[in-house]
Amino acid sequence: MYGVRLSWRAVHIEDAELIARARSGDVAAYEAIVRRYQDVAVRTAHLICPETDADDAVQEAFIKAFDALPRFREGSPMRPWLLRIVANEARNRRRSAGRRHGLALRAADAIGPPRTAPGPEQLVMAAEQRSELLAALATLRDDDREVLGARFFLDLSEAETAETLGIPRGTVKSRTSRALGRLREALGGGEGADR
Amino acid sequence: MTDRSLARDDLGLEAALRSLSHEIDWPTAAPTAVSGATAGPDIATRVRVRLSSGDRRGARRPWWVIGGRPVRRSFVLAVAALLALAIVAGAVGLGLPGLRITFGEPPASLLPSAAATGSPTQGDSPPPTPTVPPVPGMRLNLGRQVSLAEVESMTGVPVRLPTDERLGPPDSVWIDPGKFDQIAYVWESSETLPETSERGVGLILMRFAGRSDEEFYQKVLGTGNRLQTVFVDGHEGFWISGEMHFFFYVRNDTQDYVDDGRRWVGDALVWHDGEATYRIESALGRDATIEVAESIE
Repeated sequence: MYGVRLSWRAVHIEDAELIARARSGDVAAYEAIVRRYQDVAVRTAHLICPETDADDAVQEAFIKAFDALPRFREGSPMRPWLLRIVANEARNRRRSAGRRHGLALRAADAIGPPRTAPGPEQLVMAAEQRSELLAALATLRDDDREVLGARFFLDLSEAETAETLGIPRGTVKSRTSRALGRLREALGGGEGADR
Repeated sequence: MTDRSLARDDLGLEAALRSLSHEIDWPTAAPTAVSGATAGPDIATRVRVRLSSGDRRGARRPWWVIGGRPVRRSFVLAVAALLALAIVAGAVGLGLPGLRITFGEPPASLLPSAAATGSPTQGDSPPPTPTVPPVPGMRLNLGRQVSLAEVESMTGVPVRLPTDERLGPPDSVWIDPGKFDQIAYVWESSETLPETSERGVGLILMRFAGRSDEEFYQKVLGTGNRLQTVFVDGHEGFWISGEMHFFFYVRNDTQDYVDDGRRWVGDALVWHDGEATYRIESALGRDATIEVAESIE
């Protein structure tokens, strides 16, 4: 635990230094920031907008974030601030592209091979389980899917989820609970909240 | 659903979602080719290039067009030189020692046909013709033709050639003193060496002399290009394929702009072995070209 804290502080301090340099126009420093967060940014965008738009959305978001650096509050964590810009850009793309098309693409394309090598019967069941879970996620409302994606796919804390999605922290809790209920209902395994 | 336990309670669902996140084939920040190799620069590099060129807009307007009008070539060159110097100062991101690569369509004024005029080191770069020239590479503006034996005495650089069985001794050798003793070895096309876009030429190996901390290269790739990171004997390099390539570099010490000034004849492998930068152009394809490069002794 102590090591984790040290590691987080090191990243945080380095972020602050890079941000200071980037604010003064150091594009190389900003490139280092982007490289640090680009993967999680791509995943964030992928959760929100069609896969074909995710790359462009992230690139555009990082350009906008560079221009917005003077408004970044010194001392606050960089990751959720960047992800909020990414999420906003991805939502804009989703509005243009149409939601259903994007979800269908994700559900069809997002299933990778299982990481483990169980017996043949288990393999089929695992793949089926993943498919059903993804399919159930695709039936959720955008805000439900976003909060579940942020919390459990991106592994963001409640505070980070709140900033990334632009909602109060209390709403993250309630929306997560509600979304889990709806997901359970979509899977046919329990009672869900009203939709 | 085959396993109802997932849907039983929130904790089960949360665990299932966390597990699912590891099974999703997430897209990455670097485009991936069909082969699984990196097919282009990652987002960080593309953002840096856009910011460096002042491109804040989503539209893909060429970076040398300001206010809707193409700027003068001299201005473009000055900006390119300053930009490249700034990039070297940053010293991070996509590139090799002595080589920087950026994306964008080359300005029309810098295309080889235009670049081949106005400089004694640039010479002529005529379009391909159906005739096979008597000496392979003679139309490619590679400098002065010399013998293999003259290479070391004229440049101080020992001759190092591929030992790959697809190639024999080079069919012509060229030195360009105007480009820091650039050495070019040219092989004729043959049954084992498919012809490039230049009639009669199967492969070109070029070596750029000079210290990497004194000069660097900047490559402007057309939008039809693909760039893949590769390794040659453990040294990082790039495989550049697709349409037009364009190449120029700027000396750090004198600020001189040096124009490659000729068309490329095939897909290219570019790498730096710690001493010099090498470039192979061929029609062999990526893997075979890397094999040729790794056979250099």
